[in-house]
Order: sequence, then C-alpha cells, then structure tokens
Amino acid sequence: MTFNEFRQQAIAEWKTLQESDKPRILVGMATCGRAAGAGGIINIIKEELARRQIDATVIEVGCFGFCYAEPLVDIIKPGKPRICYGNVTPEIAPQLIEDYLVNDNPRPDLAMGTLGEETIEGIPKLIDLPILKPQVRISLRNCGHIDPDNIKQYIANDGYSGLEKALSMTSKEVVDEIMKSGLKGRGGAGASTGFKWERLLEAPGDEKYLICNADEGDPGAFMDRSLLESDPHAVLEGILIGAYATGAKTGFIYCRAEYPLAIHRLETAMKQMEECGLLGDNILGTDFSFHLEIKEGAGAFVCGEETALMMSIEGKRGMPRPRPPFPAQSGLWGKPSNVNNVETWANVSAILQRNAEWYAQYGTETSKGTKTFALAGKVVNTGLIEVPLGITLGDIIYGIGGGIPDNKRFKAVLTGGPSGGCLPASSLDIPVDYESLTKAGTIMGSGGMVVADEDTCMVDMARFFLTFTQDESCGKCIPCRIGTRQMLDILERISRGKGQPSDIDLLDKLSQIIKSTALCGLGQTAPNPVLTTIRYFREEYEDHINKKRCEAGVCRTLVKAPCQNACPAGIDVPRYIRALSEGKPEVATAVIRERVPFPAVLGYVCVHFCETKCRRAQLDDAVAIRQLKRYAADRDDGAWKKNIKKAPPTGKKVAVVGSGPAGLTAAYYLAKQGHAATVFEAAPKPGGLLRYGIPEYRLPNEIVDKEISDIEEVGVEIKTSSPVESLKTVFSQGYDAIFLATGASSSRKMGIPNEDAQGVMHALNFLEKINAGEKVDIGKRVAVIGGGNAAIDAARVALRLEAEEVNIIYRRSRDELPALADEIEEAEQEGIKLNVLATPSRVITENGRMTGLECIRMELGSPDASGRRRPIPIEGSEFIVDVDNVIIAVGQEVNRSTLPTELEFTSFGTLTVDQETLQTNINGVFAGGDVVSGPADVISAITTGREAACSIDRFLGGDGDIDEVLAPPEGVPEPFNVEQAEGEQHRIPMKLLGFEKRHKCFALVELGYENREAVEEADRCLRCDLEEVD
Amino acid sequence: MGDITLTIDGIETRVSEGMTVLEATQQAGIYIPTLCYHPDLAPYGACRLCIVEIEKMRGLPTACTTPATNGMVVQTNTPQIQEFRRGILELLLSEHPHPCLTCWRRDKCGPFDICLRNVDVTQRCVLCPNNGNCELQEVVDYVGVETVDLPFTSRGLPIDRENPFFERDYNLCILCGRCVRVCQEVRGVGAIAFTSRGSETLPGTAFGRLLRDSDCKYCGACVDVCPTGALVERNRKWEGAPDSKVATTCPYCGVGCQLELGLKDGRIMEVTPLRENDVNRGQACVKGRFGIPEFVHHTDRLTTPLVKKDGAFQEATWDEALELVASKLSGFKKEEVAVMSSAKCTNEDNYVVQKFTRTAFGHNNVDHCARL
Repeated sequence: MTFNEFRQQAIAEWKTLQESDKPRILVGMATCGRAAGAGGIINIIKEELARRQIDATVIEVGCFGFCYAEPLVDIIKPGKPRICYGNVTPEIAPQLIEDYLVNDNPRPDLAMGTLGEETIEGIPKLIDLPILKPQVRISLRNCGHIDPDNIKQYIANDGYSGLEKALSMTSKEVVDEIMKSGLKGRGGAGASTGFKWERLLEAPGDEKYLICNADEGDPGAFMDRSLLESDPHAVLEGILIGAYATGAKTGFIYCRAEYPLAIHRLETAMKQMEECGLLGDNILGTDFSFHLEIKEGAGAFVCGEETALMMSIEGKRGMPRPRPPFPAQSGLWGKPSNVNNVETWANVSAILQRNAEWYAQYGTETSKGTKTFALAGKVVNTGLIEVPLGITLGDIIYGIGGGIPDNKRFKAVLTGGPSGGCLPASSLDIPVDYESLTKAGTIMGSGGMVVADEDTCMVDMARFFLTFTQDESCGKCIPCRIGTRQMLDILERISRGKGQPSDIDLLDKLSQIIKSTALCGLGQTAPNPVLTTIRYFREEYEDHINKKRCEAGVCRTLVKAPCQNACPAGIDVPRYIRALSEGKPEVATAVIRERVPFPAVLGYVCVHFCETKCRRAQLDDAVAIRQLKRYAADRDDGAWKKNIKKAPPTGKKVAVVGSGPAGLTAAYYLAKQGHAATVFEAAPKPGGLLRYGIPEYRLPNEIVDKEISDIEEVGVEIKTSSPVESLKTVFSQGYDAIFLATGASSSRKMGIPNEDAQGVMHALNFLEKINAGEKVDIGKRVAVIGGGNAAIDAARVALRLEAEEVNIIYRRSRDELPALADEIEEAEQEGIKLNVLATPSRVITENGRMTGLECIRMELGSPDASGRRRPIPIEGSEFIVDVDNVIIAVGQEVNRSTLPTELEFTSFGTLTVDQETLQTNINGVFAGGDVVSGPADVISAITTGREAACSIDRFLGGDGDIDEVLAPPEGVPEPFNVEQAEGEQHRIPMKLLGFEKRHKCFALVELGYENREAVEEADRCLRCDLEEVD
Repeated sequence: MGDITLTIDGIETRVSEGMTVLEATQQAGIYIPTLCYHPDLAPYGACRLCIVEIEKMRGLPTACTTPATNGMVVQTNTPQIQEFRRGILELLLSEHPHPCLTCWRRDKCGPFDICLRNVDVTQRCVLCPNNGNCELQEVVDYVGVETVDLPFTSRGLPIDRENPFFERDYNLCILCGRCVRVCQEVRGVGAIAFTSRGSETLPGTAFGRLLRDSDCKYCGACVDVCPTGALVERNRKWEGAPDSKVATTCPYCGVGCQLELGLKDGRIMEVTPLRENDVNRGQACVKGRFGIPEFVHHTDRLTTPLVKKDGAFQEATWDEALELVASKLSGFKKEEVAVMSSAKCTNEDNYVVQKFTRTAFGHNNVDHCARL
C-alpha cells in the first residue's frame, strides 16, 4: 500500500468514526487524567455500557489541558455536538450514561461546555469560555481530540502532510520557511530555530545529529509531557522535517525516565511510523533516510542543557561545556548537531502543514506564534494552555486562569521555573514575549507559570528555587556550585530571622558573579528568582531581616502560629484560645491585654486578619477568633490589673492629639512608662471613630466607655472639646513630646457632577451625626456608593432610620468587595441590595436638590497594580436609580486644614514620618494611625499606638520596653489529639438578633457566645503554636 | 592550518589556527590566571578564572575553551574581569582553608615563621604538604583577594590514607577536575570520576569503593596535575622543595621514560615524569613514579659486584667480576650458553647483550624477562 492509499484509508476510517451512529465517549488518559482517576472512570464507563448493552465507542485520548477539571469525559451522540464533562467521579460516570445516553438528558449542570458548531441548550460553547477563548492551539492542536496511539487518526487530521510538503521542497527551502515563520526555540532560551537549522545545514560532513529535548525538569512544568502523551506524531513529524531540512541522518529523543507513558507513546508511534515507511531508509520512497532512537535520561535537571544532554547521550556524566564551539559545529560525538525542544518540533510540523505566513500572524513583531504554558499554583483553573505570544500576564492569570482561589490576593507569578523570576501585580499588564519578560528580569523559559497568592513568602519562594538549583547544579563550575550554595545559606538564615542588613547586598553581589561567570544556562539564570524577588519584594526581605517577621506566615522559625503572625499587634491568639477551651476567660483577657488595651472593642469590630490565615479554614472554617475575643473581654474581671507594669513618674509630659484607638493606646502605654500623658480631643466625648464612626448595633458606646475608663485608670488625662490649634501652644504648655493621631476623617469626593447637591451625604458625616444622637433626615430610597465597611455601616444605619430601600452601588464585582464578609451577609439578610459592577456618573438634580442618580455599568478589565481587575465603564450602559438620598462611602482622607502647616505631607496627603521612629519632620512631634497610614482599621491603629509609645518613650530617655506579662505562666498543655481535632467540625454560628428586633432600632446584632459554645469553638483550634519547628 | 592574527590587550599577535584564546594569550606572553586548565588536557572551562572580554561575543567567554579566530579583539584584564575573578576566588576560598592567603602579614611571613595570632592553627597553609608548590596560592596572589566575606565551611572529610603511594584530602579539593580528566583522557583508565551533584560533588571511585578496588594503577598522574594539596605523594610529604633536579631515564624498563629526580641532601626525594619528550610526555607508571627513591636508597641494594669467596659473597671490583665471568664462560662450549637479560635494563644495554651473545657465542640463545 502506498502512503497515499494509507492516508485515504485513514481519512475514511476517521470519517466513519465521526459519522458513526454509535455514541462515542472520549476519556482523557494522559498522566494528569490517570492521576485524577481516569483509569477507574474508563473501566466504570465500559462496565456500565456493557451492563446496559449500549454499543458505544470508548476512546482514550490525551490531555485537553483542563487539569483542574480532571478526570474529563467527553460524550458525542450521533448528530449532537461533543459535550465535555469535568471532575467526573465514579458516581457521576454511570449517571451520565444513564441520563444522557439512555434518557437523552445532557445534564447541563455537570457539563463544562460543548465543542462543534451546534449547541445544546443550557450548555455554553467551550470556545466561548474565558478559559479557552484567548487560546490558540497550534502545538496542542490534536491534544484531547485524537487517540495518540493511533497513527491513522493523526494522519486523518493533516498528519504528515507537512513532511510530504517538505519532501517536495529543497532542504534550503524548508529552512527558509521555518526562518520566515519566526519560530523561536520553545525550550527556554528562545534562539531562532531557522537560524540554528541553517548552521547545521551548512556544517560540513555527512554525519549530523538531530536531538529532541524532552528532558522537561522545571518544577511545575508539564507541557512537553502532555504533548508527547497526547500527540506524539506532531513532534515526530517535526523531527522528520528538521532532519530533511538539515541533512541529519540520525536523531535522538532525550526523554526523562520519569515520563513512562510519554516514552511508551513515543515507542508505539515510532513503530507505527516504521510500518508506514515514515521512519528508516528511503522514507516515503525518497532518498531521505532517518533513524531515530529514544534515550532515557535519569532525571538530572542539568541534562536539559543542550551540551550536558549530549554528554548524557554519549554515556558520560551530564555536565555542560562552554560554547563556542556550538553544537552545529561540534555536538554529539563531536559531530554537527542540533537540539530543539518538544514543543518547537510540534510547531514545525504545524508550520509545514500550513505555511509560515499563517504561523507568523500570531504573536508580536519579534515573538511569533504561540506558546504553551503549564499554569499552576494558586490559580482557579490550573492547566495546560496555549496562547499567542504578546497576551498579557493578567489575561492569562485572570482570564484563562480565572483568578486567585478563595478570594485571596495575587502576589506574584513565576515564569521560567527555577531559571525565571517572580513578577508582582504591577507587572500583570506586561505582554508575554521574549523581550518583555527578559526586561522584567525573568525569562520565558519552557513554559512553567506558577502563580503565588498572599500566603506565599517571597523569601521562601527564592529559597525553594535556590534549594532546587544548588541541588541540581552539576558541580562543574565554581560560581554555580559554591555560589548557589552560599546564596542558599544566606536565604536560609534570612528565613530563620538571622539575616544581616548587609545580606541583601551580598545576595546581589553573588547573583551578579554567578549570572556573569557561570558556565551554563542553569547557573547563569539560577539567581533570577532571588534578583526578581529582591527587585519587586524588597520590603519582605527587610521585614525578615529587620523585624524578624514573615508576613505571609510561611517561614516557620519566625511564625509562632499563622493567626498570631497575621495580627498586626501580635496578640498570642493560640494561647488565649487555649485558655478559653480550658474555661478561663479571665486568663484569655490577660493574654490579649498583654498586647492591646482594647480587647472588647476588638472583640466586637476587629477585621480579624488572624481568621483569614487560620489553618482550620483549610479543613472546614476558620476558628471564630474575633467572637472568642469578645466572649473573653465580656467576662473581663480586671484580674490582670494587679500585674500591670507602672513605672515611677519620669517628670516628662506628652500631649496626644486625638482620642481614637491610636492616640489612646499610645497615651496608655506612655502613662505606664511613667510619663504624664494628656489626650486632647476636639469632640465632646473620647473614642474617635470607635465612638463616632461605628454604629451602635455593632459596637455599643458603653463598651468603648468601659475600656477608656481602664485607660484613664493608669493616669491618662483626657481633655475633650479641646481642639489643638498649634504645636507651639502645646510645647509652650511644657509638653516634651506630641503624638498626632488625628485620623483621616474627611470623606473623599467622587468627582461627579452635582456631587454637592442637597440630599447627597458622606458616610462618615452621616455616621458621626447618628452616633452623636443627632437627627438626620433621610428619604425612603437610599443609594450608598462604595464597598468598604463604612458603606455597609451607612447602608445598615440608613435602613434603621426611615429608609426602606437601600442599594449599595459598587464598581467592581462582588468578589472584590473589601468589606468584611459577615457584614455583607448580614446587610443582605436585612434586605440591602448589592448593585455591583456599576458606578455613579452624575447626580440628577432639580432646583439644587437631588432627585436621582445616574449610574453606568462596569466590566472587569485587566488587573491593576493591586492585583484586582480594573473596572471599566461600558459605554452607553447608563441607567437611572431613583433615590432620595445618596451616601458616598468611597474612602476617607486626612483633613489637612486641621493640621499645623509646618508639617510635611506625602503625595497621598498623609503625614510624613520616619518609618522607624514615627517622628515627623518636627523634632519631638510624632504621628501615627490613619493620619499617617490613610484610612485603615482599629487593630492597625492600636499597633501604631504601641509603636509610637515605644518610640516616644525612647525619645524621652526611656528604654522603649512596653511589653508586660499579665497572664499567669502557662503550664504544659494537655495532650492534644490531632486526629480527633482534625475531624470535620464547623464553626459554631454566632447567634444574631432577630430581624424583627433589628427593625428601626440600634440594638446589638451579634449576641455573643455562651460558655458551652465558647469552649466548643475554642476546642476547634489546631494549636499551630505547639507544632514542632525543625 | 594557517596563521591567524588577533589583538590581545591591544597587542597584535600571530598564532596558528586551532589554538584557543588562552594558548594565543600565553604565546603573546600575557598571563591569565587558570586553575582547571592543563596543557595535556582538553579544554574544560570549569574554574571560570580565565574569563575574558571578546568583541562581538556575548558575556564573558573563558579563554581556555574559546577557539581563537582571525581578527578577534580580546581584553584579558579589565576592571570588571578583575572583580569577577576576585568574586570567584572568594567563593572558592569559602571552601578551602585560606586565612594565610588573605592575611595582612602575608608579605612579612617567612617560610619557617610560626604565626602566633593571626590564623587558626588548622587552617594554616604551612600545614599543607603542598605549601609553596600550590597553584591556588599563586592565583590568589596574582588576582589579589584581601578578604573573604563568606563564611568558611570545611567539608570535614577524613583524609584517605588507604594506599601506600599518595593521600587524598578532599577538604582541599577545588574540583578543577584535572585528576578525573587525566585519568580518563590521558591514562584511559577512568578509575575516578565526579560523584554526587551540586555542592556535594567530589572526585571519587565508583560507588565510593577503595582505590585498590577500582581500576587505579597508581600511576600518580592525578597527583602530578593536582593544583592544590588535595592529592599528595606520601613519601615526600614533609620534605619541602628539592635542592636540585636531575633529568634521567627510568631504570625500571626499556621504554625509556624521562624522569626528573628531585634531590635533597644527596638523596632522591621525589621523581616526576618529564613532559618535554616524545617517550612519556609527562607520564610514568607506578614503578617509575613512586618506586625509585626507596629502591635507590635501599640498604639492601648492591652497589658493587659480589664474588663468592670461601663460601660467602664478598665485594669485588668490576674488573675482578668481569674477569671471573669471562673465565668461567670460556669453560663452556658456545652452544652450552644462553643469555638472559632484564627489562629493567635500558635499550642500549639490551642491544649490547644480544650483540655480545651473537658475536661471542654465535647463536641466538638470548632472551629477556619482559617476555615472560
């Protein structure tokens, strides 16, 4: 049979299969699918079909790239489009057969999408999904569609037509075609494939070698494996074309032995090729002969480097050698050779099957075509993707990848594996092409793309990759062998909190030496993860070195427990939770009091960073740390007071301006250090935002009063209704230092027409008036603009007044709402409507009084520097909201007019202070809280209050040591049954006031835990602080 | 192979095609520091000290591996290169005892001075048997390393004293790979190779077996190429430098290997194979390399002929001895005599023996122990 006849036969068979009146079931059986259980699923499907005596064709296909949805089962009924089902379990598989094959119910609830022209109601087209829409599949063209073990299916899909076309051209013409396509090596370095081929073609001698590099070794990369397992012939055809174009007679596929399925598929494919006359002597009856061999590599990362790879094929230790001479001059066994990566070869066959112009239409001016990526890490849709070069990182991560799971914050993306670098959110808009990535400090690499979220420590990330490279270094050259180890030693000591301030410079110096002088690519690129993390995340290094703090809570020696680490004030959460589980709320309060003077306030309103990091959340729900804190504080018996530290009077006087949490905290600790602390407050009552910003139903004033009286008890004098006019006056009254904690109490404007119309209010003013007991006129229909806690508070307060219909208008999507999740939920339960992805464009007025609000719909575009997707107005989508009042809650800023003019401000309008001492530009004047940070939260304000107290104490001649021990020493904790504790055990719900009782009234909503509930909830703590640290 | 011209540090140099940049530079009389380079071994490029700047070439290529081409413009010692060389040496010294190399009193320190305060006893160069004969010392001196900011970590390995000829102290090894390469490339033995990866890489035998269980022939080539004190001949370990050197031919067999004897106080303290000859080109076997001093200075060695008188051997002059042999041989018929020679004799001696047999006895009954 001639090859042409064979092809006709293959096409006919393929057509018969497509038009068959039997249903077809395709199961993704690449390693990824098998690991997810596809092997069991396919058996279950076969058994079910046999049991029901359904005549269907079951086909094992390769990987479609939807790793997150494996195992994948596709069902094609005659005359119907192909439906793709993801996450198929042993229970779902027989159900699908019953529902769809027997009862003709396509189960839209389980389907991911359809493939093909026609549609099925209720199921989207796969190609329209954000995960697939931006993709262009060239090298992955057949993956998941054909049976990789059947050469005929490949041939029926244009397979080997590229080879036939090449054989009708001269070698030089083929090389030119590749050159014209602009194809660059997809293995990492990105050298022009055409250029490399030309060198080999021109090299003298008859004995030349072609090598396919399938030694994929980057952690997190699996493009080559999937491709070889799913469509080996696409690669093999490319190799044949390359051999013809360059005059090579022999080829090797260097594939790591850890890829047994890929090797098996290649072996099968090569056997079939030999049978068809596609491999061996006189291929397709021409003079062209080529022999191919698979060489299994033992898994050394360095053997992916082409010179080391060739050494390994020769049977030597895989160690790179310097170039020149280049492989095209002296390669395998000293003969001219060329190495290309798996993906490059698959692109070659596609280019010859079509043409160079077609390929070059994709990509950018300098980076043509497409690139596959293994999208992994903290991203919703992990998987194998192929995108045109030039697409932005943000479009890959947020568009295709679906963003970051669990509503966490994006932190970094690592491209190029251990040779690449970590790019921050501000780089999300850079296009993925060879030049842009190099400019940003990373590399394209072979296609590993690992996404990191806020729970990733960048020092640890760099340490991880250095561990890898120093382990995988072949040991030949000094910079790589010793340099990477020295860098790793430094990173390890930084992550243990033993770093020196000079270490960052030392890392940089070593990086430059290694980058410039290492022998091969492995060494030259090994410092990249360190260099990029220093470049983009320097403050994390500085935190580890100077503050011995790992914000992400990863570096175990620095982190007692994730919750404690997440608390800005460093409250020993696990310890007080333990005290509560032992039924000792008074001990728990003392533990909390060791770090903050506001346990109750925090128990009612803290934003609880601790809970977002609680490890229990990975099992079921986070421990209700805030509610437990409230439980403890509500039972405060004052026993801690006998242990407080109170220094004798120093004779120094400190003036604190502002009686919010920052000011009062500072005054409290300064008084305990022996200084006479006086707080000046402009308002009639102390407490700042605690009193005037937070509604009663969340934080009753009596709680605030109680904690302020504890503060006054240590000698703090509070002067209310006493605005401070000038710093000079204060100093002239004999004060030695001033602490400014005046907050950020000015509401930010929206900048839309008629914003000042009557009926438009600002959230803070509104809340302040209500909390001061003033009467505010408010209509029946109210719109609140914004998505923060102030917006939710304003909305709920409005509802408690005259308003009957309250709408919250927020410009991003629900997932991005910055307010606390509990608050949003409670607001919705109270009947408040969320109108997301919309923003006001104009206030409609009549005679100076607002009558309505014009809004515009928004859509999410590419991510901004905060890692959140930027809202973009949809033109022409304006709509009117009929409301009587608008409350604007789009943020607060510092009111400069109330501050002395001699102070220096930042470009954000906040006060400039020294990061270490919190001192402003004026000697003896310190500042902290929102006036420095911009609007933040209570716990952060308390933390700066503590920091200011330390700094001011030192300024006044003290030692700055405000730490105290209030709780009795803890004994050896009871043995802890981890297995039992890890059993599923959801958070004990907080009892809430009934809706009817909340109506038009400011009664406290959260009712608090009872004793039994508190103990039970506290028992859910996993006691991470008792974990052994190695 | 024609000649090519290249410009090295501004000097135009004509060299023959096929040379590396390093060889061209050496020919031009310009020194570039190297540690892994050895003229008898193929270019390797591991120590990275010979980095140079070459116009139109990316990065800093190593002179030892880069082929010299016509019109090349090479800079061998720019400030940037000097800085990187210092950096590389600092890294290297973080694994090699070095306080003496960076000691500020270095210039004032005489060979037999005892340092009282500056350097830990265990890390002194004077405690290395290769002190004064160390290429690392020379390179550090040339490049100039004043301080090493990185912490020093000793590998803490035991010294291998298992064989009678040389000791292996891999705490001093800088992994230049010369021993591995000479064993493989020149001797064709391959008894040792690199083992492990990364910072644990070390030369060693397969599966870490003893050298005597490997293919090692104890030729000592590895010892001769070692630039540091990692491989040291046991017998001359604390002998210091020889007073004088004498070139000679190895007496062990007829190959005629050229050796250099290092003499101290009239005794042979060391033997090194000579490179500049076409017979052994710097190589020797275990006998020539390690077997000469003991054999030459052995108390049992005969230094005059012995003649048995009154039932006991007594010292005699050569004339006496030859007279006696001649007179005894005359008592036999020619065909009753056979002559046996030794492989330890030189070719010239053996030539004379066969000539003597054929002319004096007229037959070919002459043989040689090497045939056995």
